[in-house]
Amino acid sequence: MNKEVSIIHFPGSNCDRDLAVAIKYCLKLKPKFLWHNESHIKDPGIIFIPGGFSFGDYLRAGILATKSPAIKEVIRHAKKGVPIIGICNGFQILTECKLLEGALIKNSSQLFSCKKVFLRIENKKNYFTKNIKKGVVQYPIAHSQGKFYVDDYNLKKLQDNDQIMFKYSSKTGDISDKYNPNGSVQNIAGIVNKKKNVLGLMPHPERAIDSFSGRDGIVFFNGLNELI
Amino acid sequence: MIYRVYVEFKPGILDPESEAIKRTVNQLGFSNVENISKGKFFDIELSSNNCLSDIEKISKELLSNPVIENFKVVKK
Repeated sequence: MNKEVSIIHFPGSNCDRDLAVAIKYCLKLKPKFLWHNESHIKDPGIIFIPGGFSFGDYLRAGILATKSPAIKEVIRHAKKGVPIIGICNGFQILTECKLLEGALIKNSSQLFSCKKVFLRIENKKNYFTKNIKKGVVQYPIAHSQGKFYVDDYNLKKLQDNDQIMFKYSSKTGDISDKYNPNGSVQNIAGIVNKKKNVLGLMPHPERAIDSFSGRDGIVFFNGLNELI
Repeated sequence: MIYRVYVEFKPGILDPESEAIKRTVNQLGFSNVENISKGKFFDIELSSNNCLSDIEKISKELLSNPVIENFKVVKK
């Protein structure tokens, strides 16, 4: 029997349903929704933290969610090696609870950025991306606080440990300011922790599973099959 | 006892809001304004005295993000 795939949701989450549709479509199973006050998550296969907002994103995006019982469970399971995936607000939550390096701050443009972007996959040695054949994928973004910031010392650690997973790029994989939608350091769109079982990314693979917004997300979710 | 906690971005972190405010101030005719940095403050009222360590813990764990922000506590 497969292990459970869980989606934690908060007041303000709005990509939880999209994630459930993507998981059902690609992994052929029904994910379990967990409310933020869930104080015991038993033996999860993968835990997703969805995009949207959490607690109004008051104070800083994601910070209030980090104090919820469900995120305490996420931290406990992350330390045991359970795969955790945070998308958009989920990525913000994972940096605020220190499972991931850096911080996500207001886009340099000051604008909410909502469009499809190309992403170069920087690391295919990791189980989150090793089954993706393409070198560049296209997922939508939709955020106003998606500028990834990390200081030079920690950036070097991310580089040295192969923790950078996705970078904003051109269709052919060129990296430059021109393709950086939010001012992120080194065009970084997604990273993993040092143990490589916690992934955070601003773009939305769950919104790229149909002909309208592209199908590159399907391979991302299909690739998770071996984890459950 | 009331403590005020000031939180601001660390030097070197570009805050687009502050930039936009500065540009608007310049447009108002104050061309001598070269830089504006925005922050926020929290007034925290405690039922007991000598709890500076609690305030510092709250500031570190919740009110500020040490990756991007500094904080300062003053007694009101």
